[in-house]
Amino acid sequence: MENEDYVDVDDNDFAESDTDTSLVPRSATINFSALTRKLEASRKDGDNGDDSSGLPTHRRQQDSLVSHIFQDHDFSWLHLKSDHASRPLWISPEDGHIILEAFSPIAEQAQDFLVAISEPVSRPAFIHEYKLTSYSLYAAVSVGLQTEDIIEVLNRLSKVPVPESITTFIRERTLSYGKVKLVLKHNKYYVESSHPETLQILLKDRVIREARVHSAPVDNSIKASTFTTAKAPVKGNLVISGTKEAEKKKDESASGKGTNGAPTSDKELFTSVVGVESDEIEEDDDTVHSFEIDDTKIDDVKRRCNELEYPMLEEYDFRNDTVNANLDIDLKPSTVIRPYQETSLSKMFGNGRARSGIIVLPCGAGKTLVGITAACTIKKSCLVLCTSSVSVMQWRQQFMQWSNITDRQIAVFTADQKEKFAGESGIVVSTYSMVANTHNRSHESKKMMDFLTSREWGFILLDEVHVVPAAMFRRVVTTIKAHSKLGLTATLVREDDKIADLNYMIGPKLYEANWMDLAAKGHIANVQCAEVWCPMTPEFYREYLREQSRKRMLLYCMNPKKFQACQFLIKYHEDRGDKIIVFSDNVYALEAYAKKLGKLYIHGGTGQVERMRILQHFQHSPEVNTIFLSKVGDTSIDLPEATCLIQISSHFGSRRQEAQRLGRILRAKRRNDEGFNAFFYSLVSKDTQEMFYSTKRQQFLIDQGYAFKVITHLDGMEDMSDLVYKTRDEQIELLSSVLMANESEADLGTDVRANEGDLAGTITSKDFGMPGKFPAVQRTTGSLAALSGGQHMSYVEQNKSANKKLAREAAPRHKLFAKRDKDKAAARKEARAQV
Amino acid sequence: MKAIRGVVLTCDPAVKQILLTMNEKLSFIIEDLDEHHLVIKADEEWRVRRELEAELEKNTYSLE
Repeated sequence: MENEDYVDVDDNDFAESDTDTSLVPRSATINFSALTRKLEASRKDGDNGDDSSGLPTHRRQQDSLVSHIFQDHDFSWLHLKSDHASRPLWISPEDGHIILEAFSPIAEQAQDFLVAISEPVSRPAFIHEYKLTSYSLYAAVSVGLQTEDIIEVLNRLSKVPVPESITTFIRERTLSYGKVKLVLKHNKYYVESSHPETLQILLKDRVIREARVHSAPVDNSIKASTFTTAKAPVKGNLVISGTKEAEKKKDESASGKGTNGAPTSDKELFTSVVGVESDEIEEDDDTVHSFEIDDTKIDDVKRRCNELEYPMLEEYDFRNDTVNANLDIDLKPSTVIRPYQETSLSKMFGNGRARSGIIVLPCGAGKTLVGITAACTIKKSCLVLCTSSVSVMQWRQQFMQWSNITDRQIAVFTADQKEKFAGESGIVVSTYSMVANTHNRSHESKKMMDFLTSREWGFILLDEVHVVPAAMFRRVVTTIKAHSKLGLTATLVREDDKIADLNYMIGPKLYEANWMDLAAKGHIANVQCAEVWCPMTPEFYREYLREQSRKRMLLYCMNPKKFQACQFLIKYHEDRGDKIIVFSDNVYALEAYAKKLGKLYIHGGTGQVERMRILQHFQHSPEVNTIFLSKVGDTSIDLPEATCLIQISSHFGSRRQEAQRLGRILRAKRRNDEGFNAFFYSLVSKDTQEMFYSTKRQQFLIDQGYAFKVITHLDGMEDMSDLVYKTRDEQIELLSSVLMANESEADLGTDVRANEGDLAGTITSKDFGMPGKFPAVQRTTGSLAALSGGQHMSYVEQNKSANKKLAREAAPRHKLFAKRDKDKAAARKEARAQV
Repeated sequence: MKAIRGVVLTCDPAVKQILLTMNEKLSFIIEDLDEHHLVIKADEEWRVRRELEAELEKNTYSLE
């Protein structure tokens, strides 16, 4: 609503100020011509009048001239400090956004500080944006920063005095932090606090009250009375130790409660007090108050607490946990973790306890190792959830590779495999959908689920947290009881903007790596990004404008100019010695391009053997420098040889896909070579929807500091001798073949079939969907002569797939292995002879 | 024959295609000269410009 109003206002402005530009109203457009005219006028006025007005008047004048442009965001009343030039940041008094000059000499220290107290929003080369949020402030306090210190340092770095609104915000948030804890005891959740008043406040809230579990049988009237009288401590499960007990009894009798339930519940109360005290050995406070809450309502309560500004602290003091069995797991001595991985983990274990939250690292920066190291630090039973059955196997394999865990301790729970680990503690790797599934469970998986839900987990690792639907997440979080949670992701963006939900379901963002920083230090490759604009040929554009269906997409993918640009870029980079991957979500376009340009390609329909052969050639043969990949290559195929990436068709405006694809070249083998750059090209057909999507897709990477160059003209493309679709006739032929294509050809990612248990939209499957087991049968009528070829029709395959030209024989086995095989066979023969 | 006041528009091939499509709904083109030039009715010029702008704007992504 607000937004609409905003546009309306703008619209009127335009109508009044100048009538000749009848543009579509664009919000937040600065009307420069009007401004210059006004400035001109004011200068004349100033010249005529006395010019002894001095700086303040001048300033006021300027303010009044420009302030209307900024509307609500006019902060000209915030006066700069006299030495503002040497201070690097501004703070917006309204929303707590902090703008940092990244070129300032003290920017590095300022960044370290800002990362600790706020969340990064956008970090391009020169100006960074951070945001103060409740979560970031909680995180700051929990690592030991003092409220006044935060304000003091901010004030020192800020160009303007820190606004009142911000200081109060910081004070409020940091003071309420840590008053309430969520603890898991004996498989039940308790809200715990050493301040009974706080619990009373929470219990006054309807949501929390309803989520509370009443272990003692109490009739309704009593409940009502205990809740309305604020002073009366809550009965039964609000645990109050000895000192207050007498008082409590008095209160209870005062509130005139029923007689029948009282003795039993008092006894229960007493036993529970004792029980708790023996459990809580390390608790230095003499009094701890708590009440139990229902597992299924746990995240409602968490959200509610956040809204009430009593965020629940979820920390796991794993070193003092004697109830759950330890898991003997350690990193292998040969495993070395990188500095930024260490930093991210130090945020998690900042105070010797495990804090729940999310760690954001770019693709290819070793998220898995961070997860494994965290598991090795906690050393308790651990549940790992990933998005597909393929990544389940990858996680398992990674655990075996980096840590000393034995394969008896690590179990897999997927549609095909249901294992339990041996012994008291261990690791289970599964998928979100296996755990969240509520219907149609086989007997075995039901048993497995019971196993998972019946025990307490020390640690739950959530891979790719950004893709999991909120409802599924909720089910996972509520059914599995875990002391601490760690979410891992490369791109903390959701197309549905549900990202805030993760905050209370898992925890705050603990660490977000700076991509540019990692690139500068050589942990990931330097990438040059470019968007290549390919004009549509008039014929294609004509059809594009007339086409309303999904086929529009096919038209802009198959644009002959795009073909040419693609051909040119491939040639250019092959000559430089790059290995190139070309991505196309659209399978029809993929095949057409690959066949026309004579390159190898892999999509869902490509058989396993053929696929391996193609990948092998790409990796080892100097002849094959380019492959075309469909969506299957987004995540599952790891090709560190690739140094250049071209995308010709993509999944609409998905920022995540863009980042994932960039991730394919971030781990380039050659990244540490002197002056090495990887290249990332997006080919976009001009004047089509693709332009819109392309800009949208880039937003995430832009926030990480990547700059997209726009290339409107590829120099030397026209001069290429064997340029495809050079003549108009060829282009029209191509057009007619596109128009003949089925509408379904325009669908994206049709070649990939999700496995059972894979999340929709997360294609990490290596087991591509083969063309259906039973090919669809079609009945047609035809004359016998035609069927036997009597009507003199003959077909020639024009663009033969380059895949078919590959040598049929498998690559020769290495001599060593060949010899080993021979020996083995000989030994077997011998053994048989002896028998 | 009555004379009609016209305006020559110079445009790139893509914009020309958009104009041709618009012309199908409500005719305003007098003469199609070549790939880059069109003669259109002078009194339709502003309407055409506005609609064209709106059409092109559809393909622009803005942060708002």
